[in-house]
Amino acid sequence: MALLKVDRISKFYDHYRAVDQVSFHIEPGRMFGLLGPNGAGKTTTMRMIMNIIIPDEGRIEIFGSQFREEHKNRIGYLPEERGLYPKMKVIDHLQFLGEMKGLTAHRARQGALKWLERFELESWAHKKVQELSKGMQQKVQFIGTILHDPDLIIMDEPFAGLDPINTKLLKDILLELKQSGKTIILSTHLMDQAEKLCEEICLINQGAVVLQGSLAEIKQRYSHNAVQLEYNGDARFIASLPMVERVNDYGNYMEIRLHDQAAPRDLFRAIARSGLEVTRFEAMETSLNDIFIEMVGGGNGDE
Amino acid sequence: MNKTLALIKREIKTKVFTKGFLIGTVLGPIFMIGIMFGPAFFMSLTETKPVNLLIVDKTDDLAAHLPSAFNDTLTNGQPRFVLTIIDSLTYAAQRPRFLQQLERKQLKAVVVIPADAMRGGTLIYMGKSISDMEFIQTIRDRINQVLNRQKLLHAGINPELIERLSTRLTIKTIKIEKGEAREKQLGQEWVTAFVFLMILYMTSLLYGNATMRGVLEEKTSRIVEVLLSSTSAFQLMMGKVFGVGMVGLIQYLIWVGMALGVFAFAAASHPHLLQYISISPVVLLYFIIFFLLGYFQISTLFAAVGAMSSSQEDAQSLSTPITILVVIPFIISFTVVRDPATPWSQILSFVPFFTPMLMFLRVTLMMPPWYEIWGAIGINLAAIFAGTWVSAKIYRVGILMYGKRPTLPEMIRWLRYK
Repeated sequence: MALLKVDRISKFYDHYRAVDQVSFHIEPGRMFGLLGPNGAGKTTTMRMIMNIIIPDEGRIEIFGSQFREEHKNRIGYLPEERGLYPKMKVIDHLQFLGEMKGLTAHRARQGALKWLERFELESWAHKKVQELSKGMQQKVQFIGTILHDPDLIIMDEPFAGLDPINTKLLKDILLELKQSGKTIILSTHLMDQAEKLCEEICLINQGAVVLQGSLAEIKQRYSHNAVQLEYNGDARFIASLPMVERVNDYGNYMEIRLHDQAAPRDLFRAIARSGLEVTRFEAMETSLNDIFIEMVGGGNGDE
Repeated sequence: MNKTLALIKREIKTKVFTKGFLIGTVLGPIFMIGIMFGPAFFMSLTETKPVNLLIVDKTDDLAAHLPSAFNDTLTNGQPRFVLTIIDSLTYAAQRPRFLQQLERKQLKAVVVIPADAMRGGTLIYMGKSISDMEFIQTIRDRINQVLNRQKLLHAGINPELIERLSTRLTIKTIKIEKGEAREKQLGQEWVTAFVFLMILYMTSLLYGNATMRGVLEEKTSRIVEVLLSSTSAFQLMMGKVFGVGMVGLIQYLIWVGMALGVFAFAAASHPHLLQYISISPVVLLYFIIFFLLGYFQISTLFAAVGAMSSSQEDAQSLSTPITILVVIPFIISFTVVRDPATPWSQILSFVPFFTPMLMFLRVTLMMPPWYEIWGAIGINLAAIFAGTWVSAKIYRVGILMYGKRPTLPEMIRWLRYK
């Protein structure tokens, strides 16, 4: 039975369609990626799942029934636009957030202390939020989202603004949560993150679903003849080779898409004949990033 | 419900236990008392010293009678006026000296009664300052009084008769309440009504604005969406309104405590002050009711304005119409004090936003029948429900909208959003 069933929901603002007939469902215990470029309608979709805004059309079923206010206690939601009360002490703030999710003051405080330790913030517990660095505030925000041990965790761009160390910490904890049976929805426009974490994805663009399913299946469906090449020298001639469909050239690294009937070894021979100095040649499956760019149109995906 | 409590708890924790709250709570009343009683206090200061008056009597007829017309005393028992009465010859001889005394403020004024005073004529008042019209009027009236007696005397009327005819009236005011005559001084009713009115007015604006700032703070710090993932927009708004209301109530309890302390101290040293503060429990009960009505009417609207705005400046200009809804009844209430029985002040006391101040004034000043009071309360409760409904709709949409200030048609569209 699906934990979340989104059935043809739409949201209009005046004459603008923010979300248009979006459907998907998520089984319990999965890591689900809601992907799309900025302004695609990801945030609006998540707000509708949280019942913060009401869809104009369609219905959403969560935990096997229509949305009820008390469902909010079983969901942890980290919005993209997040914030904290700057003048509150960290521990008081977390206690308040826990109480807002139905925890008793005592349990919220205990849980907060445990998580602060895990995030190496215990010495900051009695400092005001405004004294913390941006990264630390992010971590406090993250604790606030999972403090009440929610069954469903929804995170909108959780990695935005995190340094590599904290990104790894967050990723580890998300994987732990998933292993303990939690269902997680990640929204992001960073495809490499989604590719590493999610089992299922739903790609939306301009309010509508353009692609969805399990990641493995999608990658298979969209696998092209593709080659990664690391080189020194002038490799511009590759783009005009007959077996090449298109290239993505980074200067000394190149992603090459071949025509369907061509094989990587044809390219290998052609490059060998040219005398280009090659440090790595790898036949590969298509990256999610490639699929994203192909579906959404180039130039939209990076920031 | 628990979440509303959590919101209220947070509000109290972060607002009451701060230095700002303490300072505001202690200095607030001192400031207010300063505004209310400052002018009266300074006026009484200037009155506590006797006034030196030089009267030049060119008629040579009044000198003996003038002192009896200027015989009032100050509160400290000293005479209010110290008269020096001279004739026109002395005046002519020493005029420069008197003017110098005026200059040095040894004399407050030189008053010249003309020789033809009995047949009309003009009094001359010379002083360093001639802006105190009330004082000048008093001088004129007193001298006229003496003149009139002399005129009657010269007309051959029996002095005893004059005495009987010219007794001065003192005034004593009596208010009719529930068919009983209760003697009260004019000031007493007015002071009670004014103090309560002031409290209604100040709190509506103070705590209404605090609600607005609180909502705006949650919006601009972007914590609002985190909160919305825990509770509904309606609960969030009501949590803010109740939370700020509770902080206000705590402040009031502290003030009541302070007032009782000061009052007990004052009553012990100046027992006559007691007569100014006689508040019936019924009036107090109605005050609490109208206070709550006024607060909820205003603060839900302020909350909606906070949600609509993206900056302090937006909020400031958008809240002006609501501020006016508080200021107008306050201004009108001054005319209602003068005559609470006029039809239009009766009608206005049923209109939401006007009721809390105007109906409360009528309750203190003339106690209208119960069905009028409760009718107005009913109308206001309905208005609060309607206002809260509209505010909640606007709040819900506005709290997630950033950027440009919404226009009126946009706000009306918001009401229709699902």
